[in-house]
Amino acid sequence: MFQWLKTGAAALGIVAATAFGAAAEDWKPAGPVKLMIAFAAGGGADTQARLIAEELEATLGWSFIPEQVTGKGGLNLAAAMKSEANDGTVIGMAVTETLGYNMAASNSGMTPADFTPITTTAGFQMGVVARSDKGWNTMSDVVAAAKSGQDIRFGVMSPRLADLAYLLGKAQGVDFNIISVKGGKAVMNGVNAGDMDIGFMAGIQAKGVAAGDLVNLASALKAPLVQTPDAPTFADMGVEFSADGYFMFMGPAGMPDDARAALANAIKGVVENPETKAGGLIKKAFGGASVIMGGDLDAMVASDYASAGDLLKAASE
Amino acid sequence: MTPNKFTAGIFLVFAIVVLGVWIPNDVETGLLEKMRRHWVIGDSLAPTLAAGFVLIGAVLILLFETQDEAQFTMVSAQFVFFLKLVIVILVALSVMRHLGPILVNTYVAISGLDLEYRLLRDMIGIKHIGFLIGGVIMVGGMITVVEGRLSRRALIIGLIWSLVLILVYDLPFEDLLLPPNGDV
Amino acid sequence: MSVLDYIWLGILAVFQGPEAFSIFGLAISITVVMVISGFFLGILVGATPGLAGPVAMAISLPILISTFGYNTDALLPVLGFLIGVMKGATVGGAVPAILFNTPGTPDAFMTTLDGYPMAKRGEAKRALRIAHFSSVSGDTFSDLVLIIGAPFLAIMVERYLDLPEKTALLILSLSFISAVVGGSVGRGLISTGLGLLAVYVGTGEDFYPRLSMGTQTLAQGFPIATSVLGVLIIGAVFKELDELRSDQRASRMKPITTSDTNSALTLAERVKLAPTIFRSAVIGTVVGALPGIGSTLAATLGYTAAKRRHDDTEGGKFGEGAPKGIAATEAANSAVSGANLMPVLSLGIPGNAAAVFLLLAMDSISGFNPSPTVFKFDPVNLNPELVMAFGIFTTMFLANALNWTVGGRVMRTMRFMIRIPKHILLPSVLLLTLTAIYVQETRIEALYFAVGFGVLGYLMRVFGISPLPFVIAFILGAKLEETARQAYAATGNDPWFLFTHPVAAVFVAVSVGVMILTSRKRGSV
Repeated sequence: MFQWLKTGAAALGIVAATAFGAAAEDWKPAGPVKLMIAFAAGGGADTQARLIAEELEATLGWSFIPEQVTGKGGLNLAAAMKSEANDGTVIGMAVTETLGYNMAASNSGMTPADFTPITTTAGFQMGVVARSDKGWNTMSDVVAAAKSGQDIRFGVMSPRLADLAYLLGKAQGVDFNIISVKGGKAVMNGVNAGDMDIGFMAGIQAKGVAAGDLVNLASALKAPLVQTPDAPTFADMGVEFSADGYFMFMGPAGMPDDARAALANAIKGVVENPETKAGGLIKKAFGGASVIMGGDLDAMVASDYASAGDLLKAASE
Repeated sequence: MTPNKFTAGIFLVFAIVVLGVWIPNDVETGLLEKMRRHWVIGDSLAPTLAAGFVLIGAVLILLFETQDEAQFTMVSAQFVFFLKLVIVILVALSVMRHLGPILVNTYVAISGLDLEYRLLRDMIGIKHIGFLIGGVIMVGGMITVVEGRLSRRALIIGLIWSLVLILVYDLPFEDLLLPPNGDV
Repeated sequence: MSVLDYIWLGILAVFQGPEAFSIFGLAISITVVMVISGFFLGILVGATPGLAGPVAMAISLPILISTFGYNTDALLPVLGFLIGVMKGATVGGAVPAILFNTPGTPDAFMTTLDGYPMAKRGEAKRALRIAHFSSVSGDTFSDLVLIIGAPFLAIMVERYLDLPEKTALLILSLSFISAVVGGSVGRGLISTGLGLLAVYVGTGEDFYPRLSMGTQTLAQGFPIATSVLGVLIIGAVFKELDELRSDQRASRMKPITTSDTNSALTLAERVKLAPTIFRSAVIGTVVGALPGIGSTLAATLGYTAAKRRHDDTEGGKFGEGAPKGIAATEAANSAVSGANLMPVLSLGIPGNAAAVFLLLAMDSISGFNPSPTVFKFDPVNLNPELVMAFGIFTTMFLANALNWTVGGRVMRTMRFMIRIPKHILLPSVLLLTLTAIYVQETRIEALYFAVGFGVLGYLMRVFGISPLPFVIAFILGAKLEETARQAYAATGNDPWFLFTHPVAAVFVAVSVGVMILTSRKRGSV
């Protein structure tokens, strides 16, 4: 009897799994898909989202309507998306930070449970970057300069990064002048124009570093940077937090599994293929796609949200 | 009260309300905020200065400007005319926004088919109906308000102009959306 | 990479860009086509009573962006088109002013003073020729100054302006505009304050979108298109309809017929106008180069300067159909547009509505960020932004060439535009404006915002408050707050950063000085 139940359950499981797979393959949006983009039009991230949509339109025949919903680190997008239809006809691209630190730090009343994460596309190559004519090769040179009395202006593009910059200074016993700007492009412009000495850049620096105009001084990730593997990580510099994060597609809560899986697989097919325009762009800026979906993504989003409090607490001390 | 004093008075009251009620209740951070062990500029500072400018401007007019530059006579005809225009526009906008979805929902109720305007907003005709009728109401209605009578000419101009705009903005461009197709 | 290489690359970028079509094997680049079409559209719009260049720029921007995309390739065709519109509208604007006594733009108001009397005298075509000749001369002069001056200005900016100084410069621009353009200091301050307040809704550092009353509708703030177009265009539509109501004569007033036979301008006549044109062109250029001040002021100054030096015994009295009156106004207001791009390209600070839309286009399309780095002559690595800058200059000269050759003739054929009744034109413009806004913002709230700002713009006009300070404040407001925050952080949280840096302190002192001087002067009148 017991054995029979087990076999039955397993069989049911198989059936369910096949049904799920088949359904995901068969799924197509019931109408045009509204694609909300949390990034300023014309920037790298916006281009990425639009190119992915373009490719899906060409290969699958789905129709996308891109729309900018910018501001507040993706929270404006989240708030606008929350009450939209959850049948896969409304999706958006933001960053994992939106459902993590930003949602935890704000009192917007939203939680990650109000959303369905679909898939990530690429991980940030978050480095601390300076202009190479500053003469610094690594973060320790900057710290040395700061200790000798030079004011160091540190450009950041989100509150979470401001916390990290502050903690980096604290760990190294220096006090950076932290300048917040809007978007990675603004950090790069500020560093190039000399308004800032160093700044966080999440992949936008790749071209400048390759040309020798910019230099990656440190990796703000747990792992070394792809482009500059020798630069020390934040852990090496005594900071227990990192700026790891991903570009992420998401939808409103309660999206059916077949829709979620079909969207995720479709996006994965584009970003992992460097022959496509979107895939090529991701390869150039981020060294390749990082696709996390399904249960793994759920777990990551949940843990990011839960651990945001630790960073907030550390940075307020 | 001279028009000048009236103008200044309105903006004086507005500025005081903004400074005293709106900013304190609707901005999370104060003029300065303690963050990461430093004082930083809070979100209230900039709007406070802005409302301050309005306040100073109003006070300057009240105190120093004797010459009247405001050009209104405060006759009710001016106000009524303006109100008519605004009402026509608002009616036209709500027709633009809701006509398409209402028509589809009505059709669903009659036919029992499972349809939604949202999923049909790619279809020529259906996606244009709200804009077209709303546009006719806006242009035709405003012409009517000025002319003082409803003429066939006003409606035809509205119709032609709405069609021209659909031809210019919508048909050649897949990515451009006319009202209300970005909202649904 | 020498300077000449950069210039040459810029010219090539315009003429050898992506091809639109080819005639007899000669490829015509898409940028050239766009400049030409923009120019003709500009003349048409300028010649329409009640319309002006910025309207056409605003309405075509979303179409341009969705046709050409956000990539760097889109930059020259889009900016070329907008520059064409800007220049076409500048000459076109004289048509309704002269023939109909209705300035299409506030800048052309002074043109009516002598243009309309000349037209009534039966010299309409001649007046149009004078307007065209003066306008093109002033415009070309200003463009030359821009090309020579912009790189030097950029060097100065880079060398002397750090974040505190930039903050002070923004304050200076705003105080200039509220003091000079606003009608009176008090009214200017109100207009500026309202513009700042509007742009601060929904923005800010904190995660809560400030002043949004807890609503989703206000959380993203007011889109720039809704406030700028609402106050400028929709407000003007309301005001003009209101004038139609109170002044029914206007709609029945017959436009002047243009049948003067001998309308040609001889060389001698042109030479006689030259000093007036030159004086006005210099005035316009200087005014244009100051951040934040627009062409209306230039036209007024140019006209007044010419009037003061004018000898009434020759060529008729000013205000009664003096050719020099037209020349002085048109040369001055046209000379603003070129020099105006100096603060736009090196600082991102616009001085008039046309510059606002050029700046918006640069913001939307990647590959060109107005800043001093644009003008860095890098001898080793190619500076693509500098090439783009010279590409933009090339499109300006292309438009000027069109203007010198066919502009006058086209302008004189636009006389028919003044026959469209205003009460039909204005509602159509309203629907067009709202459509353009929706296409950009894709939510109906944006249209309600725009109508709301239109009501505000109407009320401001009724109260005698100029809407231009509002618009400039709205555009500079976010930048002002951000720069101030950054300057404060960069100076290690020095609350007195505006006063401890000498250049910044001078700017702040001048700002306050301008305010006090203008209010005194007005008080004594």
